[in-house]
Amino acid sequence: MTLWYLLEKEFKQFFRDPGLPKMAIAFPVLMMLVFPFAVSMEIRNINLVVVDENRSEVSSELIHTCTASGYFNLVEVCSSPERAMDLMDRNRADAILTIGSDLDRKLGRGEDLPIGIKVNTINGTKGSIGAGYLTSSVRQFYARKNAGQGEGVASPSLDVSPKYYFNPFLDYMKFMVPALIVIAITMLTGFFPALNIVSEKERGTIEQINVTPVRRSAFVLCKMIPYWLVAFFVLSACLLIAWLVYGYSCAGSVCLMYLFTAFNIMVTAGMGLLISNYSDNAQQAMFITWFFMMVFMLVSGIFTPIASIPSWAKALTYLNPMRYYAEAMRAIYMKGSTFLDLWKDALGLLAIGSVMIAWAILSYRKTN
Amino acid sequence: MDKDNKVIVVHELTKKFGNFTAVDHISFEVHHGEIFGFLGANGAGKTTAMKILCGLSLPTSGGGTVNGFDLCREQEKIKRNIGYMSQKFSLYADLKVWENIRLFGGIYGLSSKVIREKTESMLHNLNMTDLRNELVGDLPLGWKQKLAFSIALIHEPGIVFLDEPTGGVDPETRRLFWEMIYETASHGTTIFVTTHYMDEAEYCDRVSIMVDGVIADLDAPAILKERYQAADMDAVFRQLAQKAKRQ
Repeated sequence: MTLWYLLEKEFKQFFRDPGLPKMAIAFPVLMMLVFPFAVSMEIRNINLVVVDENRSEVSSELIHTCTASGYFNLVEVCSSPERAMDLMDRNRADAILTIGSDLDRKLGRGEDLPIGIKVNTINGTKGSIGAGYLTSSVRQFYARKNAGQGEGVASPSLDVSPKYYFNPFLDYMKFMVPALIVIAITMLTGFFPALNIVSEKERGTIEQINVTPVRRSAFVLCKMIPYWLVAFFVLSACLLIAWLVYGYSCAGSVCLMYLFTAFNIMVTAGMGLLISNYSDNAQQAMFITWFFMMVFMLVSGIFTPIASIPSWAKALTYLNPMRYYAEAMRAIYMKGSTFLDLWKDALGLLAIGSVMIAWAILSYRKTN
Repeated sequence: MDKDNKVIVVHELTKKFGNFTAVDHISFEVHHGEIFGFLGANGAGKTTAMKILCGLSLPTSGGGTVNGFDLCREQEKIKRNIGYMSQKFSLYADLKVWENIRLFGGIYGLSSKVIREKTESMLHNLNMTDLRNELVGDLPLGWKQKLAFSIALIHEPGIVFLDEPTGGVDPETRRLFWEMIYETASHGTTIFVTTHYMDEAEYCDRVSIMVDGVIADLDAPAILKERYQAADMDAVFRQLAQKAKRQ
């Protein structure tokens, strides 16, 4: 029954805190409204310079095909390659399309086209994606020209048409929504309990608690339960915003998302409490929590696919709770995975969570 | 006073932090219902010794009992039957007066009916009935300390430990505070109190004076004054504290 009194205290303190309730509301809103745009990896606005040595109707049609794709900003159409290179050196051009002087002649005869593509790959992703867009624009142009001429000339291009499952338009924002939920919940439920215990240490109230016969498991549990509810609130708010603002909805069971969130809090809150047991002040707790959160986030598969990291590092990710949580949340949200598909993730979270909580309770000393 | 009924027995109690011996083989006894003053200069080891007695800290060597429970093995049992109020004010500032009372009542396992009754009588005795809905953080220090003392007694413990309870409090509130202490002791609760105010030392039944981690002397104030040919406890304390080697 002591538990009840302690819980009552935690809730009152939470709602009376000048910052915490506001943070619990502002965090998901900010995450969902701002970050989907900020973390977008779609490449647009590629600065394109065209070296047009042909200056024919055909060449201007090709240029038009490229700019019509919407991915390019046409910076300049010039006649000398040196001028184009100069623009790239000054970082004004990301890609150069060179059109040879005999384009219109060669097109008519079905010969190889005198078209060159140069790409600035200082930003590798932008470079390779830009090259891809440019190639496909040229291919599109070529296909249309051949069809128009109606002479059965063999197309030199190989037409590949990929079919994308679960996210047919490769919408990066939809991909990031469950990931941002994961980040928001992990951050809030990791930091809050840690700061809570450390602030009791700083104010000296923890000593008053330690001198009472309260059970340490009860005390630790009370520091965790409120954040369970905070996390459910954050999850609900995020899902609602995603639906209202972007029109995204969860492909699978929303209940399953709540279940995995509950598992995840065992880990994050357990870890927060654990860190607070070893920290004497708020700064210390913040820095240590931050360190672990960053590491977890970077190798969780949220931003980069786990499949593409070296195998020794991949083995380490099995110790990363966020990996399981992110994987499960994304699978439920994007393709409607069921518990049977995700039991391994559940097991991973539960195992790490149990260790964290047990360690947090054991390392909380009422007597030094 | 029942001299045979010893509620605190300490034998050769020692606490070391690395090379520093904070408490150096101290031995003493505290009797049931007495007001025991635990004096000493800053850094003499008072607070460390008190923390061991409250079960907040483990002794490096030596031992003893509080209410018959062992200091090294039965801390949680000790905690059930002691009250503790520290120099660092330690009620929850962001909880209201009645909420603090309710919380600590609940922690000590009182029923909610008992807590309600206790709250009423406590607020009445403290003249704080109108302040029940105030946040504790908004109260003046003297009020806070009186409230903290009452809350430390909520579960009617056999012993209450007061660590510099009147630090920073005005003289009138100090006087009222000592009235509360007397009142509590008259009901048979043992008071173990540390203080830096020597006039308060005069109010104690017996005082011990710690210097450099050891107990330099221990007796009733009147006997100590006679032994050191001193007019008041202040002079007694100065004579003993002068011998201190560590700062």
